[in-house]
Amino acid sequence: MNSIAVRATADDIPITREKLSIRGLSFFYGDSKALHGINLKLHERQVSALIGPSGCGKSTLLRILNRIYALYPNQRAEGEVLLDGENILRPDQDVNFLRAKVGMVFQKPTPFPMSIYENIAFGVRLYENLSRAEMDDRVEHALTKAALWEEAKDRLGTSALGLSGGQQQRLCIARTIAVKPEVILLDEPTSALDPISTAKVEDLIDELKRDFTIVIVTHNMQQAARVADRTAFLYLGNLIEEGPTSMMFNNPKDRRTLDYITGRFG
Amino acid sequence: MKEHIVSSYENELRDLTRKVAEMGGRAERLVADSVAALLKRDTELAERVIVQDKAVDALQREIEEDSIAMIARRQPLATDLREIVSALRVAGDLERIGDLAKNTAKRALALDGEYRAQKQLRGVEHMSEIAIEQLKAVLDAYSNHDDARAIEVWKRDGEIDAIYTSLFRELLTYMMEDPRHITLCTHLLFAAKNIERIGDHATNIAETVHYLVIGEQLSDERPKSDTSSLTKMSTSR
Amino acid sequence: MMSLYSRRVVRNKVWLSLSVGAAGFGLLWLVLILSTLVWNGIAGLSLSVFTEMTPPPGSAGGLLNPIVGSLIMTLIAVAIGTPIGMLAGTYMAEYGRYDRITYAIRIINDILLSAPSIIVGLFIYEILVVTMGHFSGFAGAVSLAVIVIPVVVRTTEDMLLLVPNQMREAASALGAPQWFVISRVAYRGAQAGMVTGVLLAVARISGETAPLLFTALNNQFWGVNLNAPMPSLPVVIFQFALSPYEDWQRLAWTGALIITVAVLSLSILARVLLSKGVER
Repeated sequence: MNSIAVRATADDIPITREKLSIRGLSFFYGDSKALHGINLKLHERQVSALIGPSGCGKSTLLRILNRIYALYPNQRAEGEVLLDGENILRPDQDVNFLRAKVGMVFQKPTPFPMSIYENIAFGVRLYENLSRAEMDDRVEHALTKAALWEEAKDRLGTSALGLSGGQQQRLCIARTIAVKPEVILLDEPTSALDPISTAKVEDLIDELKRDFTIVIVTHNMQQAARVADRTAFLYLGNLIEEGPTSMMFNNPKDRRTLDYITGRFG
Repeated sequence: MKEHIVSSYENELRDLTRKVAEMGGRAERLVADSVAALLKRDTELAERVIVQDKAVDALQREIEEDSIAMIARRQPLATDLREIVSALRVAGDLERIGDLAKNTAKRALALDGEYRAQKQLRGVEHMSEIAIEQLKAVLDAYSNHDDARAIEVWKRDGEIDAIYTSLFRELLTYMMEDPRHITLCTHLLFAAKNIERIGDHATNIAETVHYLVIGEQLSDERPKSDTSSLTKMSTSR
Repeated sequence: MMSLYSRRVVRNKVWLSLSVGAAGFGLLWLVLILSTLVWNGIAGLSLSVFTEMTPPPGSAGGLLNPIVGSLIMTLIAVAIGTPIGMLAGTYMAEYGRYDRITYAIRIINDILLSAPSIIVGLFIYEILVVTMGHFSGFAGAVSLAVIVIPVVVRTTEDMLLLVPNQMREAASALGAPQWFVISRVAYRGAQAGMVTGVLLAVARISGETAPLLFTALNNQFWGVNLNAPMPSLPVVIFQFALSPYEDWQRLAWTGALIITVAVLSLSILARVLLSKGVER
């Protein structure tokens, strides 16, 4: 068998620094345990996808990374999540400051009931004191990055609720970028969008990974295959398998992963 | 393996592998018949091979269309994707094998009435036996997803190549001995080349089976023993 | 099968006509009340109604002092009741949504919402009028405020609960602290509904008579002193309508028309605002 050389499938992903390191992470909704000791590393300037059937804990995992779960009572995380080596789960962590560093975009577009401009300035004003001109620049920069500037530049003062669904979602991404986070969490960002808007958002994700660490939860396996560098498969609150996306979708090691991605589940 | 949630998908996949198996059986038969036609001077059999190759071509087109439709409609992943890509590749190889058999059959027709010496045919016969054996083995490996068997075939290809190289020298020698043998030997040379290439396609299929089962590609370095292209006959000997 | 179907058609016709009949019966009385009110009230409507004091029987006059009194007491009641109601509603919907105390407050508030207003009047009579020793406009305003609070609490809480949680999560995810999320995002989403709640509360109290009888009482003369008895439209209507004098009775009809028109337009305004709020 010596003569059979195996071509490596993962060589094309550059090795980048570890941005988030999840260690022995468990999560509880009241008394029910939703995550069972997850260990996972997420790398800087890469897109990591979390996939799995409904209720597998992928969204739960995402919502721990910016501690948005803490808005609700009776939800509790155990273990460690290190952001640049600092445990963000420690009790004295300022959650608002954490969320400014770890931005999040949700499944449904959530524009605030205010103008397009104000939607973006909203988060910036929380942590920065910018002059009008500087704020104008920041708004333009964020909208350009989110590929919305051309469509929105003539209507910045109008209500964000007048935008289409796809535009609203890109506005939400722009709003998140404007705060200059380090990590962006995307919770099924295109599940409420039409195919064209979905393509635009996916294109945007490719663009954004140059600057940000991106974690995306998706139900759409083809989407994970298209946008992610690495993919993790969760099932019943356990991390089953994690690896380079091409490997996960061509040749997964675990039978459960294979059954899920080929549509044989259940 | 569990069945797909979408049962029509399951049926389409099963249908696809069934068609490849059928195509394999037909191609194997064409190879055996074409060599038999050549060795036994059976022009009727040769003509039948030429006609039956059309059915193999039609199957290949069908497999190709089915595969493209499934890729477009089902977005297959992992084992399913490999199954479909493998079907495409194997069908391509089998179609070429059918063409090569057809070419051999045509040469059998061209040689009708020509004098053939038994000893000159023996080399071709021996070579074709091994090639058909290889083809059988690799088609078995494909239907049973048997990687070990496929690798065996892959490694044995050197044998056919070696026979071909020696047959090449032998036929050249006959031609130099007696110019009356030139027509026969040239046709036999081409028929041998056809069989050698059928062996190559069997090796390709072995590589595909490995990819299908393991999910990794075999390296391009195959055991190559066909050195006929480097062979020089010194006429001034 | 055909007979099953035709039986269903017949049954449908029966129920439909019963429903239409009931709706028509209710509407009929509403139209009768309104038309009687307009018929009797419009005759007395003139500029002097808005410029002159309530007259002694037999002489000409208007309703200026009760109108002003009603406006003053309503304004004060809203000024007291709205902030308290909104803050309480905000606590219930935002800070203490999952606390047990919120459930307790909600139940008590619902009881208060449907409590007879005369009880509110008696309560304020006991704690303000008796301790102060006399009736006063202030006591009237406070009793009205007690009616305003549960209405505003309820609408504020309901409207804030209608703001999708995703909106709060989205604002929090940008790093906004909770008070910021509430004041800049939740209130903005709920503002139309909250304004509607206040308008409905105003409509509700501008027609209240019972609590004012025990607190502000009445005053035949001009007066804006909150420490003295203060006239109000409902009480004046009550008093004039029961009197044997024809000119007083006519003024009572006119006053009733004024209140009805005011309340009706407030309700319509509230509905328009609310539908605008729901649109998005």
